[in-house]
Amino acid sequence: MKLHFQHIAPFLSTGQNKASRWMSYIGLGIGVLLLLAAMQMYININSLLQNKNPKKNGFDFIAITKTITNENMAADHSFTAEELNDFKKQPFIDDLSPLIGNKFVMQANGGSSLPFSTDFFAESIDDSFIDTLPPSFTWKPGDPVIPMIVSSDYFEIYNTLFAPSRDLPQFSEKTISSVFIQLDCSGNGNEDAFKGNVVALSDRINTVLLPKRFLEWANKKYAGIDNFNPSRIYIKTKDANNPALLNYLQEKNYHINRDKTKFGRVKQILQAIVSGLAAFGVLVILLAMLLFSFYLQLMIERSKQNLQLLLTLGYSPNWLSKIVSKRWVPIYVSIVGVATLLTELLHFCFQHYIMKDPEALSPLIDWTVLATGLILLTLSIFINQRLVKKLLHRL
Amino acid sequence: MGPAFIVPINMQIKLQQVFPNFLEENKISQSGIWKKEIVFNPQEQVEIIAPSGSGKTSLVHFLYGLRNDYSGQILYDEKAINQFNAEDFSTYRQTYLSVVFQDLRLFGDQTVRQNLEIKRLLQPYHHHSPIEMMAARLGIQNKLDKPCKTCSYGEQQRIAIIRSLLQPFEFLLLDEPFSHLDENNRKKAMQLIEEEAAMRKAAILLADLKPIEYFNADKKIFL
Repeated sequence: MKLHFQHIAPFLSTGQNKASRWMSYIGLGIGVLLLLAAMQMYININSLLQNKNPKKNGFDFIAITKTITNENMAADHSFTAEELNDFKKQPFIDDLSPLIGNKFVMQANGGSSLPFSTDFFAESIDDSFIDTLPPSFTWKPGDPVIPMIVSSDYFEIYNTLFAPSRDLPQFSEKTISSVFIQLDCSGNGNEDAFKGNVVALSDRINTVLLPKRFLEWANKKYAGIDNFNPSRIYIKTKDANNPALLNYLQEKNYHINRDKTKFGRVKQILQAIVSGLAAFGVLVILLAMLLFSFYLQLMIERSKQNLQLLLTLGYSPNWLSKIVSKRWVPIYVSIVGVATLLTELLHFCFQHYIMKDPEALSPLIDWTVLATGLILLTLSIFINQRLVKKLLHRL
Repeated sequence: MGPAFIVPINMQIKLQQVFPNFLEENKISQSGIWKKEIVFNPQEQVEIIAPSGSGKTSLVHFLYGLRNDYSGQILYDEKAINQFNAEDFSTYRQTYLSVVFQDLRLFGDQTVRQNLEIKRLLQPYHHHSPIEMMAARLGIQNKLDKPCKTCSYGEQQRIAIIRSLLQPFEFLLLDEPFSHLDENNRKKAMQLIEEEAAMRKAAILLADLKPIEYFNADKKIFL
């Protein structure tokens, strides 16, 4: 016949302090539930808010400038080389390109077919940042025609506002490439006329783009400037809502289109709330474990004489501690199991009654949540066993 | 017959210059055990006659490993027991060494049967529980389901004796085991002890205030 806990139980005052024992069970359950549910919500928020922006190849492209305030209006708002290098080194940045603007006077006019004339601006960027890059978007000194890539927004504004107000013709996306406008560049004692041709429209970059080589050449020729700091840059990032990116921008006082990152702010706040909940859960778990350890100490203290006599009779302290702590394994398993099931239930309710699109989330809780539950279970069994062993060896 | 899986080790207990730290010098110098080289051999029946205050109970506690406030060394099979940990002692106490304490050490709140079963289950020696039989022989069969603390001291002494016989052992330590028994019960108890010891080919160390005439000691030592 094998010895079981039931044989030893009459010699231990296990029935004592029922209230504190149950409190510690309930506390442990609530703590585990809080922690697991908070983890699952964190994961839900993460996966729900990651795909809110239109992306190209899984990346976000965002323009960044320095914030201009009343106080620093007169200061220089360009990015220094160190600032760009520091920015580039950040783990949440995949690539970065400065936007180089024209530093000389540029005027556009439509000639006789398009009777308008306006001051003009243009910028250039690394080719890898352009979403619609035709092979014709190149220029070398001596070419009379400069290819242009225009923001789709500008094109729309031209067609819907500018053209009707001036009685100018409207163009389709196809016909715009057949139009040539005249670009007059002047400064530094030079003056030349080029022909501009729209070769593509861009959804990504909100400006008029000219080949980089042209603007570098022209800035030198018409403004006498070889190298200067950009005041606008584009970054390429996997997640524009990454809190680390947002914190970095805030810390450096860089300006970004709020619309692109508004989910990031919401996410940051929600994640802070659920992190707080998780931390509270951990605290409750610790308190529950503490309460349970008091219960164990009290039980062993009250049964001290009996336990000492059992050891005197030849009972091994290791065997005793094993069999005593084993008694709580099923209880711990049920507590953590129930908490995990409740987490799954909460997740299910969240998905079906709160979310508009239940398809966006997996119906099951994340494996990391499950793993955390298992780790907690192992940890509490282990701590309990260590404690019982320590208390028994102290007798 | 005992279960086959218990390996006999022909246990031997040795005392090398052992004396209690708290005992007066003159009591140590007159003693036949303290500060001497003593060997208790397998199957030996030793009677230790010890007047009050000579350290009899201390000796039993030293031998059983409950206390270590002594100088010198006690060896089980050439192993010094002051190097033993709790697990080592539990191995010996389960299989090779049994004891009846002078103060009995029973679980007062538990029944007599629970007191006996908790010892028997740890390492049973008999194929069938001999509890009923032994209780009947010592005249306490009707006490088995009573709480231990309601039994008289003489009855409790018999419970402690039965408890010591429910396990395998090669050494049986008895500390004034019959102090509260009448002549008739002493004889019955002694007979049961000797039968069980003979079955196990075990040694007996009986410590008492005066010689016990019906104990066939091979050796008598005055403490």
